[in-house]
Amino acid sequence: MTRLAFRNLFQNKIRMVISVGGVALALMLILSLDAIFTGVEQRITVYIDNSGADIFVSQSDVRNMHMASSSLPDSVTRIVKAVPGVAKVTPISYISNYVVMGDERNLAYIIGLPDMAEFGGPWKISSGGSLPEEGEAIIDRAIAEKSGVHLGDEVKILGEEFEVAGLAEETSSLVNSVAFISMDDFAELRGNYDTFSFLLVKVKEGVSPQDTAKRIEAWVRDVTAQTTEAFSNQERKVVKDMSTDVITIMNLIGFLIGLAVMALTVYTATLARRPEYGVLKALGARNGHLYRAVLAQALISVAIGFAVGLAITLLLSAIIPRLGLSMVLQVSSASLLKVGGLSLVIAGISAVLPIRQISGLDPAVVFRSK
Amino acid sequence: MKKDLADVPGRLAPTSTLEVDHVTKRYGSGDTEVAAVREVSLSVAAGEIVLIMGPSGSGKTTLLSMLGALLKPSAGEIRLNGEVISAMRENHLPDIRLRKFGFIFQDFNLLSALSALENVAIVAELAGIKRSAARKAAAILLTNLGLGDRLNFLPEKLSGGEKQRVAIARALINDPALILADEPTANLDSKIGHEIMRLLRQIAKKQGRSVVIVSHDQRIKDIADRVLWLEDGQFKDMVTMATDPVCGMTVELDNEIKIEWEGQLFYFCAKGCRDEFFSHPEQFSSRSVQPVKG
Ligand SMILES: Nc1ncnc2c1ncn2[C@@H]1O[C@H](COP(=O)(O)OP(=O)(O)OP(=O)(O)O)[C@@H](O)[C@H]1O
Ligand SMILES: [Mg+2]
Repeated sequence: MTRLAFRNLFQNKIRMVISVGGVALALMLILSLDAIFTGVEQRITVYIDNSGADIFVSQSDVRNMHMASSSLPDSVTRIVKAVPGVAKVTPISYISNYVVMGDERNLAYIIGLPDMAEFGGPWKISSGGSLPEEGEAIIDRAIAEKSGVHLGDEVKILGEEFEVAGLAEETSSLVNSVAFISMDDFAELRGNYDTFSFLLVKVKEGVSPQDTAKRIEAWVRDVTAQTTEAFSNQERKVVKDMSTDVITIMNLIGFLIGLAVMALTVYTATLARRPEYGVLKALGARNGHLYRAVLAQALISVAIGFAVGLAITLLLSAIIPRLGLSMVLQVSSASLLKVGGLSLVIAGISAVLPIRQISGLDPAVVFRSK
Repeated sequence: MKKDLADVPGRLAPTSTLEVDHVTKRYGSGDTEVAAVREVSLSVAAGEIVLIMGPSGSGKTTLLSMLGALLKPSAGEIRLNGEVISAMRENHLPDIRLRKFGFIFQDFNLLSALSALENVAIVAELAGIKRSAARKAAAILLTNLGLGDRLNFLPEKLSGGEKQRVAIARALINDPALILADEPTANLDSKIGHEIMRLLRQIAKKQGRSVVIVSHDQRIKDIADRVLWLEDGQFKDMVTMATDPVCGMTVELDNEIKIEWEGQLFYFCAKGCRDEFFSHPEQFSSRSVQPVKG
């Protein structure tokens, strides 16, 4: 019966293209939206993940960067450095603001870096320097390109002019980017010289970041210390919380479109084959055999649709970064599993619809099909 | 050279008898009730070819459908080897249709998406035969029927005669005791129709299967062991028949639409055929009257 389903499916090419194409598009909608948000999630933590720190120390109870602010007194740097297991520390200042280039305003994490910072700065420079001096800024290459800004051009950050001294790679996402200025400039702009935002900590070799983070919290008052991984997860969670509703709605829409296309094509395909199913019944096929053929047909189309949708999404995720867009498509296994599950549901439901067409079929019609 | 029509191999058939006992079929109810078959009795022995003829609407197809367990009689009994199939529960019927009967239709009814081989093999697979074994059996059967070089053709690529032979192979694949055919030659030209008839005869005589054929085709009489005349849902004595010289239909001799032309009487199924005859009498009059006795 599976063979019959295959043959029936491939005999009517137009119907197959419509059903497979429709399902593929619907699944692609879900897959690529998931991929976009997974990409955003991943990019939003790009600074944290690439900072080189093992531990992020922040003001008590501040657990992420986005839509948060943390303030630590200068003294914390000294105290943390004395905690056993800590190898190096870099204090950074942070604020969420804009990099203004001409008429364009680009949302960015502005990071203030101390002179001679050993880590916490840009990790991949495409041109220029990697540590901002006074009056200098290092901004994202893709953002700069988009706005037509080059090395040596002026950009405005927090109302002040900065000269672009370096262009960094991988520091932008769909929603924001990272820009680096010197700690002194940052302090001047904020009018605050005694505090900074986060302390980035590197642990000694062979020492567990987790234990060290606990030790820091025990030794230093009013701070929260998290491993980079935990800090990164918290950051991702913020994005996830913001995007779940959108994703749920789009998933539902994609699911309904896929279901509608599939149900309609399976139904019409069954209707068109009714006389042949009647012949099979007269020859001795049971309803179960025929249901199996219809279900197989739905499953095969959905499987092909899934494969096509996935292929296109993967293709997009390969092409988009090359276009220089600040967008990353990341197909996650969770998303694959979900869309695979949805496909099965779509196939199952669309095969239910024609059941009555088959069970109500009178085998005696075979002699009357003239 | 193309094989004309292969001989079907002989077979030691389990003898089986089909008995139809006072069977009636009524369609509809109340004012619209139609008794398509009325109190018909009939017995078909193994290896026997029974031809059922009769005017259109006389209940032939209805009777054949009941014989094949496709339709439940309103009254009466149908027994196959003593087993009452007319009273069987619906979920036992597929097995009976699958293993006991082979069906042959006027318009072949092959599955259009499957090759000749697959059309035959699928019926064996339905009966639980493994795919490879089913394909092998189908290939042998089709080859015996002269279709060895057509195994992978789709039905649309086959001629009418080839399609009907595929249908015959499909009817035979599960080794049924009984072959039921409704107008098997109606869509074929006379030469091919004749081949199919010969084939059906071989199936009956060499393999010992019973064959019940419904047809308007006079020529099938030559191969039938018995000809029955169904009229108004009942078997009647065979009246003397003539053939409409235009369409070839069997016409009763007491038919009103008849004319005399050059000293011969011609009978027609309808006025249309008579008018056509009038327009070119010389064209039709040669294949004329031959009144036949039942
Ligand atoms: N499903 C049905 N519902 C109602 N009436 C039916 C049905 N099938 C057949 N009939 C009626 O039963 C009678 C016998 O029909 P049947 O098809 O058996 O005739 P037939 O001898 O096969 O005719 P033909 O030679 O034209 O094929 C006809 O009057 C027909 O209208
Ligand atoms: Mg009929």
